[in-house]
Amino acid sequence: MTSVRPKLKPDTPKTVTAWETATGRVVYMTADHGWTSDPTELGVFTGEAGDEALAKAAAQEGIVTDPYFMEVSADGAISGRETLRETIRAVGPTTHPEFSRAETA
Amino acid sequence: MYRYDEFDAQIVRDRVNQFRGQVERRLSGEILEDEFKPLRLQNGVYLQLHAYMLRVAIPYGQLNPRQLRQLARIARDYDRGYGHWTTRQNIQFNWVALKDIPDVLDLLADVEMHAIQTSGNCIRNTTTDHYAGAAMDEVMDPRPWCEIIRQWSTFHPEFAFLPRKFKIAVTAAEHDRAAIRVHDIGLHMRERDGVVGFEVHAGGGQGRTPHIAAKIADFVPESALLDYLEAIMRVYNRFGRRDNKYKARIKILVSETGEAEFKQLVEDEFAAQREAEKIVLPQAEIDRIHAYFTPPELAEKPAESAAFERAKAADPAFALWAEANLHPHKVHGYASVTASHKPVGGIAGDATDQQMMVVAHLAEAYGHEDIRVSHAQNLILPHVALDDMYDVYRELDAAGLATANESLISDMIVCPGLDYCNLANARSIPVGQAIALEFASLEDQADIGQLHINISGCINACGHHHVGHIGILGVDRKGEEFYQITFGGRADEKAAIGEIAGPGLRAEDVPSALKRVVERYRALRTEKSERFIDTVERLGTEPFKEALYATD
Repeated sequence: MTSVRPKLKPDTPKTVTAWETATGRVVYMTADHGWTSDPTELGVFTGEAGDEALAKAAAQEGIVTDPYFMEVSADGAISGRETLRETIRAVGPTTHPEFSRAETA
Repeated sequence: MYRYDEFDAQIVRDRVNQFRGQVERRLSGEILEDEFKPLRLQNGVYLQLHAYMLRVAIPYGQLNPRQLRQLARIARDYDRGYGHWTTRQNIQFNWVALKDIPDVLDLLADVEMHAIQTSGNCIRNTTTDHYAGAAMDEVMDPRPWCEIIRQWSTFHPEFAFLPRKFKIAVTAAEHDRAAIRVHDIGLHMRERDGVVGFEVHAGGGQGRTPHIAAKIADFVPESALLDYLEAIMRVYNRFGRRDNKYKARIKILVSETGEAEFKQLVEDEFAAQREAEKIVLPQAEIDRIHAYFTPPELAEKPAESAAFERAKAADPAFALWAEANLHPHKVHGYASVTASHKPVGGIAGDATDQQMMVVAHLAEAYGHEDIRVSHAQNLILPHVALDDMYDVYRELDAAGLATANESLISDMIVCPGLDYCNLANARSIPVGQAIALEFASLEDQADIGQLHINISGCINACGHHHVGHIGILGVDRKGEEFYQITFGGRADEKAAIGEIAGPGLRAEDVPSALKRVVERYRALRTEKSERFIDTVERLGTEPFKEALYATD
């Protein structure tokens, strides 16, 4: 089941994000439809390529859970209305900077 | 406290093994998330913003030291070294990997714990007064009946798929510390002509449509309690809405049906129960359960402790703490201790594994092996001798658990908010931290007196903002966090829903705005003993709204 997040227009740059099923770790789809936990390595998709990416994610339910579109800029930076949520999700709780991605990577 | 019998132990262990198989099938891709989700939720496993979250049941908030040490071990070995006390007197672990959860559940089963019914549309953990069995003002100990309700509601097949989740709270003191009037069912224990019974409230709740519960029965004798609860549940199961999850809680049914009609429906259902359906609890069984809650043998002591008085005179910080964090005990020479999990500027309700170990040790050394989790997200040692208090204080202080702020302005209830929660719209914890820092002086907090600030990061109200004396609700406005303030809410025997002050504030403006509100209160109170909520009751919310939006 895909998370209920705001709908994005086809031409809006986006990536696919989900949680790794075994660990719950946040992951992003790479340009070649693999998975990374590093948001700087995420793939940017638009139009049919986006739909294809989401369909591929949905077909990998043993590996990832609840894939959905996340809005990014053309260069892959988190953007749009959900920027705060997605930044916290990418980096870690703002209340525990010691657990931030940069610290734990 | 209640101890598992062989059947309890076997059922819990079997459930772990069953879930282990379900997790294996999920990881192999044999079952998909849609199929797995209801299974994991029935075992307290959520998928949150960063990771899985495991919510562990702590029946009516009571723990023994062995259990607390096991929670510390889980925090250390399977999480990131901490857990989070919840408003249902449970604990949540925020970083547990799904593949490890069966092992964690096995560790819990080793100490008679589990995570069953901590999620899903079932009857959740029954909560109660965190001073139960110790409080001077209680008429009896509510825990035996919490345990009976727990046993009745656990795995009850009729109530496993309710329209929505269902929460029951019990108090046995006139001063309600269990927030019973904002529960689906709130029970107030009373004694009438030698018979123990319950005043029954139904249809309370918070969330997007807060309601104060309606009193639907003055006195249900204990012999009829479970039948009466079943009657309520059946009416809810039959008439509660399933077409709209936002209207599915019993509060909506009570509100839409009308209190009198709802009460009649329950009475009719109760009367229609056939004899064969009645739950007959043999007195021997009631006595057996009560025996688990026999008060600890507390040596007789004078009401005043010379050692305690000496320590207070010698150490002003201890005196301040003793004034704020001790609650009167029914036995002379003892008090209930709040180990504050609200360090000024810290994270409300978080406990590290080391802090858990310290509290477990103190409970063993000084506290008759009894520990409680309060719905305000602190730990309590209910039975500590005043003679030992200074030793307890120093160990708590060394562990960062001796902030002198119980029920004061920095003792906030705070939901995890957008820092953890998949549903939240705004952060809660950082706002709470900033407020606590604004009022950092504990002497100043003591002067302000009792003031409950409750903060939620979304309308689901997990931070109980509706019933905070000052409530704070985080909202999202075009991707930006704003905070709506309410005044006049309360969760006690005069329960009320707070009144929204006006437009939301930016996070950075909240602490200074509340400072103005508190200064206005200080100027308006007739004497120091008039609490903030009393002043609101006397004058209304207007002066505080004005102060909130005043420019310096």
